[in-house]
Order: sequence, then structure tokens, then C-alpha cells
Amino acid sequence: MSAAATLPRQWRNGELAVMLLLPIALINAIGFILPVLNLARYSFNKSRIGGGIENVFTWDNWAGLLSDPFYLELVFNSVWISLAITLTTLVVSYPIALYLHRSTGSWRTFLTVLVISPLLTSAVVRTYGWIAILVDDGPVVSAIKAVGLPAPSLMFNIKGVFIGLTEILMPYMILALMAGFGRLDPRVEEAARTLGATPSRTFLKVILPLTLPGIALGCLLCFVLAVSSFITPKLMGGGRVFLLATEIYDQAIVTLNWPLASTLSILVLIVFGAALWAYSAVLRRLD
Amino acid sequence: MTAFKRAAGVSMTALAMSIAASAAMADTVVLTAYSGIFQENYVKAVVEPFMKANPDVKVEFYGMPNSAQMLGTLRAQVSAPQIDIAIMDVSVAKAATDEGIFAPMDETVTKHLADLYPQARADGVNAVGVTFDNLVLLYNTDKVKEAPTSWNALWDAQYAKQVSIPAVPDIQGTTLTIITDKMAGGTDYIQSVDAGIKRLEELAPNVQTWEPRPDVYQPISSGTAAIGIGWNARAQVYSDLSAGKLGVVLPQEGSGFQINVIGLVKGGPASESAKKFVDYALSPEAQAAFTEQMFYAPTNAKAAALISEKALERTAAGVMDKMIAINWLEVAKIREAITEQWRRRVIPLSR
Repeated sequence: MSAAATLPRQWRNGELAVMLLLPIALINAIGFILPVLNLARYSFNKSRIGGGIENVFTWDNWAGLLSDPFYLELVFNSVWISLAITLTTLVVSYPIALYLHRSTGSWRTFLTVLVISPLLTSAVVRTYGWIAILVDDGPVVSAIKAVGLPAPSLMFNIKGVFIGLTEILMPYMILALMAGFGRLDPRVEEAARTLGATPSRTFLKVILPLTLPGIALGCLLCFVLAVSSFITPKLMGGGRVFLLATEIYDQAIVTLNWPLASTLSILVLIVFGAALWAYSAVLRRLD
Repeated sequence: MTAFKRAAGVSMTALAMSIAASAAMADTVVLTAYSGIFQENYVKAVVEPFMKANPDVKVEFYGMPNSAQMLGTLRAQVSAPQIDIAIMDVSVAKAATDEGIFAPMDETVTKHLADLYPQARADGVNAVGVTFDNLVLLYNTDKVKEAPTSWNALWDAQYAKQVSIPAVPDIQGTTLTIITDKMAGGTDYIQSVDAGIKRLEELAPNVQTWEPRPDVYQPISSGTAAIGIGWNARAQVYSDLSAGKLGVVLPQEGSGFQINVIGLVKGGPASESAKKFVDYALSPEAQAAFTEQMFYAPTNAKAAALISEKALERTAAGVMDKMIAINWLEVAKIREAITEQWRRRVIPLSR
């Protein structure tokens, strides 16, 4: 009350907020919104044979995209593969995050550092590590062969991309889950147990509902990262896995069809928009 | 002793001043071309000798990983170019010419134009061939005991899941398509590559990866893959570096050329000195030096006489009659159709 009274008159009614937000809004407008608008404009340009760009306004790229089964399959594949990777990441990360949340002291610090440490290494290096482990004459396939099972091909196909991306996304999922576990009070669990709930019932009726915000956040983060990742699919997909991100790279860098690359990029933004909408819908229901 | 020190001090100062003065006077030419081993070898064989002969010109080599990124950078600078010269793939140079990025290339730029092989000149491209490269067969000498002589080795069942092919849209895949089409009885790749695609469908199950990374040479050198295709110049250099692990063969059926062209950026900051460099890069001496260094075939017909037999043998210069004439500007028009064929008919058969 007194602080507001001492402010100059013209700064009231939220004008101060506007003033404070202006610098970051400006930076975002120049660094983010402008390039995205430019990208959207490019998607209506015409690509010439050999990589040139004709500055016209045409719906051809969009019409071509929506009528070509290859690209529809590409979008469908990207979304379901990313969803499946997100779900797998969630399932393998959840117990780790829960254990971390419950541990204390230096043990907790040690484990947290262990979880974060993969992020200190570049995803490219980790991907090459996976290639060495999963190739046809690598240790994993050899071990499967040694016990007499039919050896699957784990590298240079969708399985490789799946394994690699899941591992690369796990730290993000664990951190997001832990951030969302704030509402999980151990006393609530104890109360459920003393009232006679079985461990599985406690998990399903108490722990899981309380950690849903963390799950939603982690899933959103991992889904967005999975859809946009292209290094791992490029390195581990063996040219057999066609995803939106790898196709954008090919069109922009190899074929030089920038208008089509822009159209695909805007399409990815639309997919992200849908993911954000789904996330906020989930959050609304939780509240 | 003190007198000596003083004299040394004076001479050092004089030296420093003269270096500073010459640096201030030196005209800087910015050249963009491929980074990595191309940069290393081109600087050694061409850029440094040029600067030695022209102390008043400084050439800065700005390496980029591929032609597309060069085009992107040149596009971004079109109103105020920072780059004077670009060495890039001919089909990308065509796009750059169409967008008005390159200045015309004529006798006022270089007197060597008349000496260039006809393949080095393409209508509608304001840049001329500076290197010829060709597709070759690569093999790991531990896994492939007897050096293959034919492209058909790729189809050999004993290399199942051991073949490494950079697929289309990479132009190594495009070149393989054209070679395969000719081998399978195709007569005009511009009309149809159907015969080649059918043959590639049979290759698909043998393929380990369609996207070798970081490039096709490393996995074959290290034995991750047994056999594959790549570009001759890089393969020759990596073969030397691999202590005999990487074998390189120009198959008996011949091959096709990839052409890098050199172009002058319109409105580049150092136009006169830049012209001087383009002229030097196309001279028989520079062409010969780069062939000795990195085994690209020369584009200047007068260069061959200056190249050692040993280096010439490792290029396609001796088997020009076996090379398929690939018109890359025409190929650009069918590239999308070839890509579609690969994606719908060839690659799915290797899953």
C-alpha cells in the first residue's frame, strides 16, 4: 500500500509490470518471434530445382505435405515414437525419482549428481557409446547369442533410436519428476498405511495422484525433446527411421529445399502447441 | 653483449613494425570451402603457396561442413558480402547463380578458362570446376581379403549387414543409382533409373546403414562395416591414415564425377585480389599440387603433365573414358523423384 503510494502516479495500474516486462518481450520478439514469422513466410515460398528459392506466395508446400502419404506417415511416426519413448522414459525414471525423493543426506546428493552426470557429456558422445554397445558384434548382441537366443538387430534401426533416446531423456524426466514431487509428504503415506492400505493401494490412491503434476511436466518435456531430437535418430537410425526432425535436416542441409523444411518446422511447432494444450488440460483437471 | 642486445632489440622492433605494416597493407581474401581434411590439404597445397607468391594478399580460409551451409551463409550476406570466393558442389553453385550470388566468371577473372576440361564448365553456372572427384568402392582390408574389382561386390551375400551406403538425398547415393542403372542395362538415367532401382532393391537387405556417421570412411576403417561407397579423394587420404585398413578401388565398370566449382561472390570485399586467387587456383601448378596432396583429379588439362605418375594413378585421370558423364544440373531436376524411389522401394526392404 505504502510502496504503491510512493511510486510516480503514471506507474500505477500495472504500468510498472509492463515496463519491467518490456526488455524480455523485446528480446523474445527479435530473437524468437521474428525468426518464427520468417520461417512461416518461407513455408509459402517456392523452391526452385537445385535449391533456389523463389519469393512468391503459394500454398503448394502445404498442399503437397498434406496430400503426400510419406509426410503424413512421417508426422504420425514422429508423434507415436516420441509418445512411446516418453512413456518408457517415465516408467524407468519414476522409481529412480521416487527413491531419490525419499533418500536423504549425502547419499541423496551423491545419487542426484549421478543422475545429472550424463548431462555433462554431449548427447553425441553418449550416442556413439550406445552404437559401440549395441552393434551386431557388440557385447549386448554377443551376450544374447551366447545364451542361445536369436540375436536381434539392435542398431541402425528403430530399436536403436528407442534405446538411445530413452537413456538420453532419462535425466530430464527424473529432474522434472523430482521437481513435481514437492506435494508428496511422507506423513500422508504413513497415514494411508496406518489406516490399513496395502502398499500397492497406497501407491495407486495416494502417491500416484500426488505426483501427477510432476509426471505431466516430465512427459511434456520429454515429448518435446524427443520430437525435436535429430542427432540420435541420425546416428542410430541407420537412415531407416524417418522422423520430422531428421527430414527437416535433410531438406534444409542436403536437398536445399528450404521452403519445405520451413513448412515441416511450422508443422513441428503445431505438434508442440498440441502437446502444450494437452499439458494444460491435464493440469486444469488436476486442480 | 649489451651492444648485441640493443642491436637485437632494434632489429626485433624493426621486424615487428614491418610485420605490422605489411599486415595493415595486406588485402584479405576470404575463401569458403569444406572444413576438415579438405581445408587442411587445400591450405597446404594451394593457399599457402599463393600467399608466399603474393605477400600483399592474405587468404583466410573459412571452412564449412557442406555446400548447403555455404549457400545459407552467402544468402544471409547477400546485401553485404563478407566472403569473396566459394568452392562448392556444382549443383549448389547453380542455385547460388540463380539467386545472383556469383559474379560472372570470364577471361577477365582467369586466363585459364580455355584450358579447363569441358566437364568443368556448366551453362548457367557462374563458377567453374576446380576439383573432380569420383565415387569409389571402399573396403576393410581385414574383412575383405581379396580386393574387389566390381561394384557387384556390394551385392555379395558374404557381406550381409556389412554394407555402408550414404543414401539419397546424399549425392553419393545418387551417383550409385546412376552407375547401377547403367550396369543393369539402363540407357538414359534422365529418362528413367528404374533398372537401377530394381537392382538396388536387391542390395537393400545387405545394407547395415544408409547413414554412415561421421562419414562412410571411419566405420569401414574401424571394421564396423566391411564394404561401402565413398569419394575417392577423401578415401585416398583416409586410406593412408588408416595404416592399410581402408582399401580403395575404382571398379572396372567405371564411375561418375562429383564436381566442385570455384565462384567469385558478387560485390565481395576484395574483388581484385580474389580474382588473382581464382586465377591461381585454376592454374596447372596449383591444380597439380592439390592432386599430389589430396588426389582430386585436376580440372585444368595442362595440369596432368605436372603430376607424378604415383599420384595420378590414385585419381580417375587415367580412365576418363570409363567415366559416366553425369550432368548434375539435369540430375537436380530428377533428384526428388530418385529420392522418392529410394524411400518407397529401396530402403524399406532393409528393415
